[in-house]
Amino acid sequence: MVKGRKVDNVAYERLVNLGRETLQEINSDTSPSFYAPVRSRSNVSFSEDTGTLVLGDKKEKRTFVHVSQAKKFMQTIAIAAKLKKFLEEGLHTSIRGLFYQLKFSLGEDLDEELFSEQSESNPLIEDLEASLDLKREDFNLSTDRKGVVAGNMIIKDRFGGEENTIDASKQGRSGWMIPSDVDNDMEFVDVNADYVLVVEKDALWQRLNEDKFWKKNNCILITPKGQASRGTRRLIRKLADMKLPVYVFTDCDAWGWYIYWAIKTGSMNLAYLTKHLATPEARFIGVTMSDINEYDFLNKLTIKAKDVDIKRAEEMKSYPWISRHKEWVEELDIVLKTKKKLEQDAL
Amino acid sequence: MSEIKEAKEIFEEFREHSVAEFFTKNKQMLGFSGKVRSLTTVIHEYVTNSLDACEEAGILPDITVKITTLPDDNVLVKVSDNGPGIPLDHVGKALGMMLAGTKFHRYMQQRGQQGIGAAGCTMFAQLTSGKPVHIKTSTGNGKVIECNVSINVKTNEPTVSDITEYDAEYRGIEITAEFADVKYDRSDYGPLEYLKRTAIANPHAEILFIDPEGRKVRFPRVSDVMPDRPHEVLPHPLGLEPHVLYNMMRISPARKISSFLTSELARVSSSKVEELKSLLPQLDFDISPKDIAWEDARRLVKAFKRIKWIAPSADGLRPIGKEQVEIALRSLLNPEFVSVRSRPPKVYKGGVPFIVEVAIAYGGGAGRRTGSTNAEIMRFANRSPLLFDAGGCAITKAIKSVDWKRYEVKDFENAPISIFVNVVSAFVPYTGAGKQSIASEPEVLDEIKFAVMDVARDLNRYLLGKVRVARKEAKRKAILRYIHQLALNLPLLANSGDPEMLEKKLTKMVFEKFKAEEAEEKKEVKLRKIMVEESSGEEGKSDEEGGIEFDEEDM
Repeated sequence: MVKGRKVDNVAYERLVNLGRETLQEINSDTSPSFYAPVRSRSNVSFSEDTGTLVLGDKKEKRTFVHVSQAKKFMQTIAIAAKLKKFLEEGLHTSIRGLFYQLKFSLGEDLDEELFSEQSESNPLIEDLEASLDLKREDFNLSTDRKGVVAGNMIIKDRFGGEENTIDASKQGRSGWMIPSDVDNDMEFVDVNADYVLVVEKDALWQRLNEDKFWKKNNCILITPKGQASRGTRRLIRKLADMKLPVYVFTDCDAWGWYIYWAIKTGSMNLAYLTKHLATPEARFIGVTMSDINEYDFLNKLTIKAKDVDIKRAEEMKSYPWISRHKEWVEELDIVLKTKKKLEQDAL
Repeated sequence: MSEIKEAKEIFEEFREHSVAEFFTKNKQMLGFSGKVRSLTTVIHEYVTNSLDACEEAGILPDITVKITTLPDDNVLVKVSDNGPGIPLDHVGKALGMMLAGTKFHRYMQQRGQQGIGAAGCTMFAQLTSGKPVHIKTSTGNGKVIECNVSINVKTNEPTVSDITEYDAEYRGIEITAEFADVKYDRSDYGPLEYLKRTAIANPHAEILFIDPEGRKVRFPRVSDVMPDRPHEVLPHPLGLEPHVLYNMMRISPARKISSFLTSELARVSSSKVEELKSLLPQLDFDISPKDIAWEDARRLVKAFKRIKWIAPSADGLRPIGKEQVEIALRSLLNPEFVSVRSRPPKVYKGGVPFIVEVAIAYGGGAGRRTGSTNAEIMRFANRSPLLFDAGGCAITKAIKSVDWKRYEVKDFENAPISIFVNVVSAFVPYTGAGKQSIASEPEVLDEIKFAVMDVARDLNRYLLGKVRVARKEAKRKAILRYIHQLALNLPLLANSGDPEMLEKKLTKMVFEKFKAEEAEEKKEVKLRKIMVEESSGEEGKSDEEGGIEFDEEDM
């Protein structure tokens, strides 16, 4: 509880500080500016030390007295002011909720709104996170919930002035839905398992859940339901911190493999958060392309790869943190050559 | 009903009847068809004569046109100028004898060319109102002559009557003629539009128009530069129509057809005459040209087209000139933007030289106003406005064939655009005797299109610049809106600061930045202007080279 408060205070302080600095610039007759780390691939690299992607030093300057930057600057400050208010009032909202609160006309008889699409506000939230070196969850902001867990795990969740104890082994057929924030006001009281198994698809998770796989094998069973959300990745990271081995089981195609890689090294867009989200210890399990070549019964289960799989395979080959692994390049080359895939449900 | 056939009929009858009698029956060939068009034709003939006469005498023309509707619906037309005037012994021929005008046998690029103009009006007045035309004229010698002129249709002889002579200081001519079967209106085909366009093509002329309701419209002289006097050039064989050749031969002083050809036509050498002889073995080239048969004149014109000629000289071509057109358009339309191009001479039909002058005017008073604004096409041939038969004209076709969307003009038909096209040639390829539309000779059509595309590119550049400026302006206005929002949010974020003070400070900062930017832009525009001038200078040079090339080809 004390830990949670402290993070809150840091976020609050950094927001107020941003305001003070901006004010100072205006008072000294300089155009106020905001610096955000560049979040494109050109500023992302792989760190041998951490085994994750890291953001470089490149920063983008956004200044108010400039025809093409004024609006974004003003919008950034508007978001910051709103986030500060949430922290003051102790309220939470989603990034969509925040967007709706800031979607209003800039003046009477004006058809220009502060924000007219959520696609305008989302990247500015990410800019604030990266610039202030905080997660959105620290600002009481949540992302859409996605991902489900089951297993011997007890969590205390303080929310809305109440405290609830969640037992992830008693969630029946649906499992416990992983929230966006698994840090603030969340306490992992007891985790009793030998390892973590992440399966790409919800259908397979449901099968394994019904079969009581997690009970028989004493593991934490997670599905990100496709690409892993921030909350799911953060939960996997936290479980790895408790010294649990992490295995990721995906389809035999580039799309599935990239889900594994995003869990392992982090994604480019969230490279500023990899220390919170990436799990370099994660290991891959599943069918490989070479397996298909070797075992005839597997070959009979293959289907034609989709365009997105082919495209993803090409992209992955171009990422240096993946292409340094010879065996992965070979796998990707087979995908590009045979244009086949095998889904985990087929097994 | 081909033109040649009509012409053939004219001149077969010509031997027994007079040309005047023929036109009496075929007055539509002179442009006297329809009540509105007939009146515009009358104005055209008189004004054209005045302009040509003034130019030749080196006088800046002052022309007054007054139209009065009489109680019996007849229309009285009075046209006066400050030109050289006509001596009494020429008045009859000039105004009462068809095909006798001074222009007829002198080939130069002039507005009127047939020499039936003013006499045709006399005939038309006589036919419709039954009244002769009244003339007041003086050559500036202190003696003024007034008289009535009519035509003896049977003989094509003028009748000059009621002559009075008195002393007064006056120079010029004043023609008063009364017509029936004509109608004044203010449409695009009426005299007012005709005079407006005449003014555009003749910025050196001062034109005053008084309409039947007494309203005066003045088209002021905007340039004191007299057009170059036309060079007289002999007609080129390729530019001749059978009836023109026939008439030239009938009045030629030459003793033989062969000597007529070499002395009165351009580029005809004795070896060319030999070529013609071999093409027309049945024609005796040693007879007097006066004895030529109509059919033989037609055969000669046909034979001309089968021989390879040296192209006619382009020396006689007199475009209005870039500056003059621009002055005229600016003062008359007061547009936002004007671009004028005068292209180097080109040839059509394998050797007839012509020049295309094009201008585009955008915004301001440009475009036609008929409730809404429409694109306006102003067609000219040798400075003379073409008001009728627009659909079949090469100028209209060329402009319509341009893909205007490529030039940032989304909806050409409804754009505030006026396009001016002047086709200059000693032999403009008209579609018919009415001379209101230019034939679609491929080279002429292409050249007009290229010229229009030239100015369209300039317009495109202007419009793009305008869009850029508007976008920038909108963004600047937007910043002022953002200031307010920022000034509200910042104190909430920082827990200090005063919105009003912040708004003031930010506004000041933004305005200072804009001022600095504007100063910078002005500098850039200046630089760009210098660059454009330099590049257009080069363009001019390459145009000249094109002209020289053209001359060499002809050698």
